[in-house]
Amino acid sequence: MALATSINDTAPVCDLLIKDHLITYADLEKISDFSKRSGLSFIKIALTFGYISRKNYEGCLSNAGYVFNDKVREEAVDDEVLEKLDLKFITNFFALPIRIENNRVVTLMADPTDREFINFIYETYGLEPEIILASDLDIVWLSHKLLGESYVKDAVFELMKSDPANSALITFSTGQLIFIFASIALMVVALFFNFSQTSILLNIGISSFFLISILFKLFLALLGSRFELHQAVTRDEVRHVVDDDLPIYTIQLPVYKEDKLIKKLIWNLQSIDYPREKLDIKLLIEEDDSKTLNAVKDLNFPAIFDVVVVPFHMPKTKPKACNYGLYFSRGKYLTIYDAEDIPDTDQLKKVIMLFEKLPENYICIQCALNYFNRNENFLTRMFTLEYSYWFDYMLPGLDTLDIPIPLGGTSNHFKLDKLIELGAWDPFNVTEDADLGLRAYSKGYKVSIVNSTTYEEANNDFFNWIRQRSRWIKGYMQTYLIHMRNPVKLYKRIGLRGFLGFNFFIGATPITFLIYPVLLGIFLAYVVLDFTWIRALFPDWVLFISIFNLIIGNVLMIYVNMMAVFKRRFYELILFSMANPIYWLMHSISAYKGLYQLIVKPFYWEKTNHGLSKTAGTVTQPKTTV
Amino acid sequence: MRRRVLYLFFSSVTLAVFYLVLGINLQHLGYYNHESLFYIEKARIVFEGTGLRLKTIGLTSPMIPFYGVLPFAQLNYLIAPVIASALGTAALFFIISLGVIKTTKDNFLILILLLLFIFHPGFIYMGCSGKGIYATMIFFFLFFYNIFRFYISNTTFHISIASILLVILLFCDYKFIWMTLFFIPLIISIAIQSLNLAEKQSIFRLFLSFNNPSLRRKLMNKTFAMYVIIFILPLIAILCYKLLNQAHANDFNYFSDSPYATWNVLVDKFEKTVSPSVTNYSIPEVSFLTSVRVLVYCPLILLGAYFFRSNTQHFLTLLIPFALVEFLKIHEENSSFLPMQYYLMFIVLAYLALVFRSQVIARRKVYKVIIVLLVIVQVFTGYFFLRDSMIQSENSFVTTFQKTNDTNEPTTFDEYKQMADFINHLPRKSSILIDDVNAYPILAYVKSLKNITLPYQDAFLSAIENPSTYVSYVLLAGDQNSVGGYTQLNFKYKLTMETRNSLTLEKVYESDNWTMYRIRVNGHEFDESLIR
Repeated sequence: MALATSINDTAPVCDLLIKDHLITYADLEKISDFSKRSGLSFIKIALTFGYISRKNYEGCLSNAGYVFNDKVREEAVDDEVLEKLDLKFITNFFALPIRIENNRVVTLMADPTDREFINFIYETYGLEPEIILASDLDIVWLSHKLLGESYVKDAVFELMKSDPANSALITFSTGQLIFIFASIALMVVALFFNFSQTSILLNIGISSFFLISILFKLFLALLGSRFELHQAVTRDEVRHVVDDDLPIYTIQLPVYKEDKLIKKLIWNLQSIDYPREKLDIKLLIEEDDSKTLNAVKDLNFPAIFDVVVVPFHMPKTKPKACNYGLYFSRGKYLTIYDAEDIPDTDQLKKVIMLFEKLPENYICIQCALNYFNRNENFLTRMFTLEYSYWFDYMLPGLDTLDIPIPLGGTSNHFKLDKLIELGAWDPFNVTEDADLGLRAYSKGYKVSIVNSTTYEEANNDFFNWIRQRSRWIKGYMQTYLIHMRNPVKLYKRIGLRGFLGFNFFIGATPITFLIYPVLLGIFLAYVVLDFTWIRALFPDWVLFISIFNLIIGNVLMIYVNMMAVFKRRFYELILFSMANPIYWLMHSISAYKGLYQLIVKPFYWEKTNHGLSKTAGTVTQPKTTV
Repeated sequence: MRRRVLYLFFSSVTLAVFYLVLGINLQHLGYYNHESLFYIEKARIVFEGTGLRLKTIGLTSPMIPFYGVLPFAQLNYLIAPVIASALGTAALFFIISLGVIKTTKDNFLILILLLLFIFHPGFIYMGCSGKGIYATMIFFFLFFYNIFRFYISNTTFHISIASILLVILLFCDYKFIWMTLFFIPLIISIAIQSLNLAEKQSIFRLFLSFNNPSLRRKLMNKTFAMYVIIFILPLIAILCYKLLNQAHANDFNYFSDSPYATWNVLVDKFEKTVSPSVTNYSIPEVSFLTSVRVLVYCPLILLGAYFFRSNTQHFLTLLIPFALVEFLKIHEENSSFLPMQYYLMFIVLAYLALVFRSQVIARRKVYKVIIVLLVIVQVFTGYFFLRDSMIQSENSFVTTFQKTNDTNEPTTFDEYKQMADFINHLPRKSSILIDDVNAYPILAYVKSLKNITLPYQDAFLSAIENPSTYVSYVLLAGDQNSVGGYTQLNFKYKLTMETRNSLTLEKVYESDNWTMYRIRVNGHEFDESLIR
């Protein structure tokens, strides 16, 4: 419906909303005030800062005789009109001029009475607008699709241009390929000339490596456990935070086909203890993800988030979406949550408090991750054990030793300016978070951890778990390869401790998973099946060392898992630690899958399906004492 | 702090030198013991032996004291155990002192500790004897230190470290595995204390938690989890070690039951031959009296118990070693007497209690006076315990100490030395068959193992069956030898060989318990050039 002729006579939308009791005068005052300070339009604030739901808004306008055009995506577009627009400016309004027709600028608007934007049309094009009322989400979708190309290209290639040495676009460097093939050739030649001695050396080498890498993990866990009661930020400190002094905080929510979880996600975010106007929540939706977009449309309660549609561009990865979202982020700090995340309510305040305490070179704070559905099945229990020791013991251990911390997938909080300075996430890396942690470290920045937890949904499906884990392991391989392109340079930049930590933590992890079945095979062939060939190939002492390393390695890993239950009082899980060798076999399957993918499709993002848990995502605050 | 650590370090070095000088002097006076000789003989096999030594390296038990000797074996085999025990005991002093300076600025406790280490006969015995007691004491102290730290810090770190230390302690002295039994009440107590209940009294907390299904489940889960976190590593370590024994020796308990693997098997025969009780009016260590003996030996533990009287966990912790020694008395039927380390551990534990109450001690003079008095009493009781010990190596430590260089009374070890001396003077190419199951004290004194065929070698079994092909001499245990039954190479062997293999075993040297024979085939001496 064209409304242009009656614009001046039309009552502002806000009056209609007040009339329908959807907002109050006090709300209107707040919105106007916020609008003046932020430059955001009335409708943007009303719809994205939790004043009114989209359903109610459309209902209100429909009752007043307005008709929404739900086919705006099919409207013709004039590039000359679009050339005069800046996407960042446009996104402050829910409006988009698309073409000139009959000497009028055909403009899509979610608020047909937005005087400021109408004036903008007059000023920019010197013509009157012809307004088509459209849903804000459709306008956002169209705006990003039509105007977002340059941003998305930057999101993909920015790091590659500014810091090509750290981009995962090239998986194996020439030097690495030469090294790998030369090693293989050398091994084959050695096997050819002296099969037995070479096999012995290989056997002892890999089994000792296995044990050493697990000993390193135990060492880290022990070190981390020493500070398990340390609270980087206390509740008392959080209580004394003055809301007015808080900066704008961006929360990025990259989602893809998470229609089932949208409602839960938004509810979870509503409970965050942070002033509403200082939250800048970006829901990053892929252009082709109509499922999620429709789920957002259908929300029947006011929500605090702003939708950003990420235009199509390969690779279709989470880091690319996050990078794109950065261009529209307003915060001083930024964090990322996954669709199913339930962060501790005071997390943002704790992070800010800690940033204030830490020296300037701390640019990222990682929160602990854990699971709300831990007792659902075997997998979720094992996953909980793993995450508990990882985030409660290993990362604090790394932190204590001042070794680069591989960031977790979500709940890592950044100083936005520093994140941009680092070149943000690498869209070609499938564990962009781990990579970013290392990149930050190598540039002299530090990462710390805070005593706050985000609860996620543990993967409860075997195949889904394998998919997710294969991506993680592939990402670790990618990250290792990138940073080891020039080992000497890396050593000089991060020092011996960082270098060893990086090799044992990032490099050794996939390797241990890859060699685990080999050691297990030797164990089975020797001890269980008692094959004669294995005794003929390896002397007893070699088999002894190999099996000793395997058994002790497994025992220590079980022990590290057992330690995990203590901080969070998950005592009922302690026996499940014994199943760690089986869990490791699953890791090995994923590692081989990851290795295969690293070679054939390195940037392929194995999507993890969320929302499979039948457990409601409610969390009781754990006590953090033994 | 750094300065104090430096002082401590130099005190420890001085202490090590003190023990070393005393220990070497004692050796000159003829003091030896079977434990150190056993380590020496095994170390010689490791460094001088030819053939498959993996079993000796991996299965010699107790492992840690044995490994403690190895680094010094190349310097001098006979002194190596003394060096190890001297350094180990000095290290124990250093470790305990570090614990003290972390808790208080008052040097009183350090001084007392130094006096104990210098004057207490038990500690001197630990430092000079060449035995592995120092290793047991170090890890015993560290284990309990971390348990007490856990009570204070409440972190998984200390409990996990305690668990790892317990693993090492077990490889110092396997008998400490029984301690796991007596931790059950303690862990239940810890679990009850940690429950979130308004009730303060332990007994009522227990009552409440047992009568509420949710609390009961929590209590059980936590108790089990704590028990597992402390004991899973030691238990699995022992299980793995047993599997290793099974794989390499076809016996799960080879490390604890075989005289080839440990000196403990024969030590009763060697050292505890003094018959107790009625005939010589000695106080027998009957069960209940063991605890009383401990209190007499270490009255300081009473002060420790007094300090911990208001804390159930701390108090129960102090009781655990009492339960252990009582249990060992019941369980170890063949063992009439508890060796010195089971008494010494109470001094270490009592001292640990003082460390954790050092602030209180620093403030009250009366405690300092009591401690000084108790330490003086302990030094005397320590002397009397050692002097009157029914264990030969302990008893002879005191008697050797009292000897002067002029007195030249023969010791039991002279026989071994003389036999070794004879072996050393055999013609250079002479090869000898010896079973080190009981002859290890002799082998500890020989100059070289080069021409000696021992059980760890593949040729040993063949040499036993057909000695004339492999060796020119054979050492047999005499019929008076109390441990002659443990080897095939005893007096019966001579008869068998002479009947079956038409050999003649010609006696070339004889002592009370050992006889060296030269092998003659059809009246001819063995031709050395035929040795395989």
